[in-house]
Amino acid sequence: MNNINLQHTLPNVFAERDSIVSEVWKKNLELRKGEIYLIEADSGTGKSSFCSYIYGYRNDYQGAFYFDKDNIRHLSVSNWVDIRKHSLSMLFQDMRLFTELTALENIQLKNNLTHYKSKQEIEAFFETMGVADKLNAKVGKLSFGQQQRVAFIRALCQPFDFIFLDEPISHLDQTNGQIMGDILMQEVNKQGAGVIVTSIGKHIELNYNKIFKL
Amino acid sequence: MKLVWKLLRQHISLPQLAGFFFANLFGMMIVALSVQFYKDIAPIFTEGDSFIKKDFIIVTKKISTLGSITGASNSFSEDDINEVKSQSFARNVGSFMPSQFSVTAGFGMQDSDFHMATEMFFESVPNDYVDVNLQKWHFDENSHAIPIILPRNYLNLYNFGFAQSRSLPKLSEGLMGMIKLDVAIRGNNRIEKYKGNIVGFSNRLNTILVPEEFMTWANKAFAPDKEVQSSRLIVEVKNPADEKIAQFFQKKGYETEDNKLDAGKTTYFLKLITGIVLAVGLFISVLSFYILMLSIYLLLQKNTTKLENLLLIGYSPGRVALPYQILTLGLNFIVLILAVLLVCWARSFYMGVVSSLFPQIAAGTIIPAVVIGTTLFIVVSSMNIVAIRKKVQSIWMHK
Repeated sequence: MNNINLQHTLPNVFAERDSIVSEVWKKNLELRKGEIYLIEADSGTGKSSFCSYIYGYRNDYQGAFYFDKDNIRHLSVSNWVDIRKHSLSMLFQDMRLFTELTALENIQLKNNLTHYKSKQEIEAFFETMGVADKLNAKVGKLSFGQQQRVAFIRALCQPFDFIFLDEPISHLDQTNGQIMGDILMQEVNKQGAGVIVTSIGKHIELNYNKIFKL
Repeated sequence: MKLVWKLLRQHISLPQLAGFFFANLFGMMIVALSVQFYKDIAPIFTEGDSFIKKDFIIVTKKISTLGSITGASNSFSEDDINEVKSQSFARNVGSFMPSQFSVTAGFGMQDSDFHMATEMFFESVPNDYVDVNLQKWHFDENSHAIPIILPRNYLNLYNFGFAQSRSLPKLSEGLMGMIKLDVAIRGNNRIEKYKGNIVGFSNRLNTILVPEEFMTWANKAFAPDKEVQSSRLIVEVKNPADEKIAQFFQKKGYETEDNKLDAGKTTYFLKLITGIVLAVGLFISVLSFYILMLSIYLLLQKNTTKLENLLLIGYSPGRVALPYQILTLGLNFIVLILAVLLVCWARSFYMGVVSSLFPQIAAGTIIPAVVIGTTLFIVVSSMNIVAIRKKVQSIWMHK
């Protein structure tokens, strides 16, 4: 997948509104592989909707999204399964971790599917992110900031053309945010992938090619 | 896979699964046992070498008091015969042809005045239905000799009833064959004398039987104006234990000689009871299937968020459904094995009695129970699997 195209997309709930002031909605937009984008949003402007549309678990929108030439509305279940394993990685705002499993088990649940990272690599991520001691702790017992880092590591355990990070550092301090940014760029450069980061305030410091106001 | 299972087995309710397990076990066992029992017992009534094997049934119309007074006809019309012929149980139908002329038969000592005679009648049936060697069963107009078959009952009645009580000599079949009857036939203003030879005794045909070719000729010669109407039919049936025979004759108000249709009635009730038990078993199976489906649905519902997250991190619906499908498949399989074992065990009780009462019955196998059990297993399991898959897909589609 080399680019993601938006053609006049708009969440159905916004259809009633007369004036939409946005650099994303109702615009023709191209997100290219290898580039880094930041989408800044105020609350209630459809940031989460945007992520769920692109990740294929909601489709209550007008207009169209294209992965290369494919309208994503017409992708089959197996297409989506494939895309989520090999092309598109997502760090969910609400993490979507399994609280009854340990941090490591959460990562393995993903990595067993892709076999993308070795156990050593995963442990090294934990080390760098400063959560090595939480490897075998139940995720339910971790703080929000720690969970955010575990979810981030999980997002790296697959090959991707684009990685989405939905408010990745909302619970992290400056230093940890920077560490996450560094690891992210290492992986992204290795894969030549595109990055789309969303934020409603503080955002991860990267060399953004473009910043959109949602 | 282990991790997925670790995740998804949460909220599994053991009491619910145990409820399903036992309900399904009883349902399947009852279904399998009823079929097995029917298959084991039915041969006693239906199979060829069984004790009630009879391929012919003799049918008459019921004689009622009212019918006797009003003189209603109790003979079979052409339509009646065709109707019987068209029934699925009938292989062939023959009618008894009664004599339309008067017959006197007697015997006496030659060259003496001693002579005994009696009024009597003849009947004939098509040769196919005669259960006696047909070698002498011919009539020749010029020979003036008529072969006759008597019911074996008559001979027995004489030998073991009359002769026994009066200390008279008993008559063998061979001896009877040597007796020549003087037969006089009157009708159409003529009298003809014939010699009657007893050529055999019949178990099946309870009448004084002459060859059909003689009867056809004699009725024409001695009673040309009278129409021949049969009051008895002989029906060759495929399976005398077929309950349709009894039902049909019951409906038409016909009677049959002997109790040959009892087996048919018995198999009918056996089928009826088996059917009821089978229905109960199936009903329990359906209920148990419901319990399982409710339990699984509840489980899926409780785990919806987990399933959703698994799907979002790249698990396919099929893979997410798999643990639950394996769970139900495993449960169903254990139920199948246990049910078959229980049927084997239950069968050992009644088969002992059956084989001592009817040693000629082949031992039979457990195959019917296995077949019906496996069928039920496949049906229930595939419905489970499809339902779980549908449910997981609906979680995928939840948006």
